[in-house]
Amino acid sequence: MSTVAAFDRPSRTATIAVQGDLAIPDAKGLYDCLKSISRRRDVRTIVLDLGKTERIDGAGMAVVSLGRKLARRAGKKLEIANGTRHKQALELMAAVPKNTIDQHVETPPTKFEVLGTRVLTFYEGVRASVKLFGDAFHQLGYVIAKKKKLPKGATSGFIVAMGIDALPIVCMLSALLGATLAFQGIVLLKRFGAGMFVADMTGLAMVREFAPMMTAIVLTGRNGAAIAAELGTMRVRGELDALDAMGVSSSRFLLLPRLLALSFVQPALSLIGIFVGILGALVVARISLDLPANIFWARVVGRVDLMDCFHGLGKSFLFAQIIGFTGSYFGMRTTNDPSSVGSATTRTVVVGIFLIILVDAIAATLGSLGGPG
Amino acid sequence: MKLDSMLLCRKLTVGYAEDQPVLSDIELEVRRGEIVALLGGSGSGKSTLLRTITGLQPPLAGGVSLLGQDIYELDDEARRALLRRTGMAFQQDALFGALTIQDNVALPLRELTKLPEPIICEMARMRLALVGLAGFERRQPAALSGGQRKRAALARASILDPEIIFCDEPSAGLDPVVAAELDDTLLRFRDVLGITIVIVSHELESIRALADRAIMFGHGKMLASGTLSELEHSQNEEVYHYFHARSA
Repeated sequence: MSTVAAFDRPSRTATIAVQGDLAIPDAKGLYDCLKSISRRRDVRTIVLDLGKTERIDGAGMAVVSLGRKLARRAGKKLEIANGTRHKQALELMAAVPKNTIDQHVETPPTKFEVLGTRVLTFYEGVRASVKLFGDAFHQLGYVIAKKKKLPKGATSGFIVAMGIDALPIVCMLSALLGATLAFQGIVLLKRFGAGMFVADMTGLAMVREFAPMMTAIVLTGRNGAAIAAELGTMRVRGELDALDAMGVSSSRFLLLPRLLALSFVQPALSLIGIFVGILGALVVARISLDLPANIFWARVVGRVDLMDCFHGLGKSFLFAQIIGFTGSYFGMRTTNDPSSVGSATTRTVVVGIFLIILVDAIAATLGSLGGPG
Repeated sequence: MKLDSMLLCRKLTVGYAEDQPVLSDIELEVRRGEIVALLGGSGSGKSTLLRTITGLQPPLAGGVSLLGQDIYELDDEARRALLRRTGMAFQQDALFGALTIQDNVALPLRELTKLPEPIICEMARMRLALVGLAGFERRQPAALSGGQRKRAALARASILDPEIIFCDEPSAGLDPVVAAELDDTLLRFRDVLGITIVIVSHELESIRALADRAIMFGHGKMLASGTLSELEHSQNEEVYHYFHARSA
């Protein structure tokens, strides 16, 4: 495309003759030309001569339409000359409403409205989570009373998928954690000639705190996120609506098998994590302190009592409920928009880990109130 | 000189495994300015053929000449350049849920051209007006009905002024009024913008309103080709049954 601009001083008219195609590659040139002419004070009328224009595409139409707006805004007039060859394109431009976007411009909410919306959203979220929690227990009651059944094989399938597949990573992390704890403990305790107490320290720490928490964090990232993504995708594909339409409880069909599987898997993995973690500490103590394995083990067994085991495994059970409910809650609250699946998984991990640490802190505080154990 | 043959398939065999072709020995040509419908029962291979024509599924045999170039003999860059001259409206609208309708339509312009933002916005608005969605620019796809989303998808498919548009089941699942509006939109694309259109559809009413020609597939081959009237009076029993199943 090439443009030829001519200026007629007496009539204060600028004529732009467009030669060749007026298409995407050339649109910017004409737009810049129209913009600069519409700024000129000595021009009253702009004439766009399309007599030698071959083809006008969507970009060309848009530039002509924009040119009209620029001219109008500057108090000028834009006229089309020799446009008969491009009648259809010009008719199309005329059919476009002038300010369609403005019809739907919403005024931005005030700070008070934003705060109110957030409070209401939070309230709605709490209500929905309590409802989901209640419905799950209600359905569990039906299952226990044998009035309703869980989907066949679902729970065992989830135990395999969630537990056995997570075993290697839980073992590896627990061993490393136990070994690190032992290293740090030995450095400190050796100064006081109390190196062998590293067995008491790592045993108690792994049983009461680290193994349950480490396992819960791994399972939140691994299984909580997977539950949210799975249920979210089901929401997007309309499968959750299909369950509702059939009158099947999604809590019983989808949530309970996952929750029961987690209730078994999380304490079981924590228990394995405890042993592997202590084993990691034992290896470090054997190498660094030359402490015999039987003495290390005897100290652990002598220090850790049944209440400590209940404390650790009880927390594990609670963590399992947190992982299952956060994953299911955020997954089920996904909208039909696929991007909300990603947001649901992120929220599951963030909220899940936060709640796990919060519950752990509360449990530790309550545990310390009952004495040193 | 403008090319007259927009699409040419020569001895084309399509499918997902060598020993299980979905359609074999397809010979078809679409000429500039035509609206051609690809017909056939469910599973007859129409959509697979469309995927092969648009470069998404390599053929098992034969070749596809799109806008004068054999699409499967081009390197990746040349193929992408060729596909920019075509448009595809998918059966599921495939709009990006996180973007507004205007941003969805403007996406190819922002990604593939160096046009300034005011021109891009104006083009998107004009194209949305052409498909009857003036005023919906700032809405999210989730806030639109199925018919509106399909029209927005058509606006996006056509924003680069392609020479040919492929539509997979454009009016599937729409009520007759919305389907008729969509047919009008497609006709306007051909009449105003000069776009050649290939449609895969089951909707006979739409095809009657739109198509200059139809090609029918079944049993892994092309059964018939011609105007709608020719196909409706075809001697081929299966083709005849397809058009008169409801009246039988």
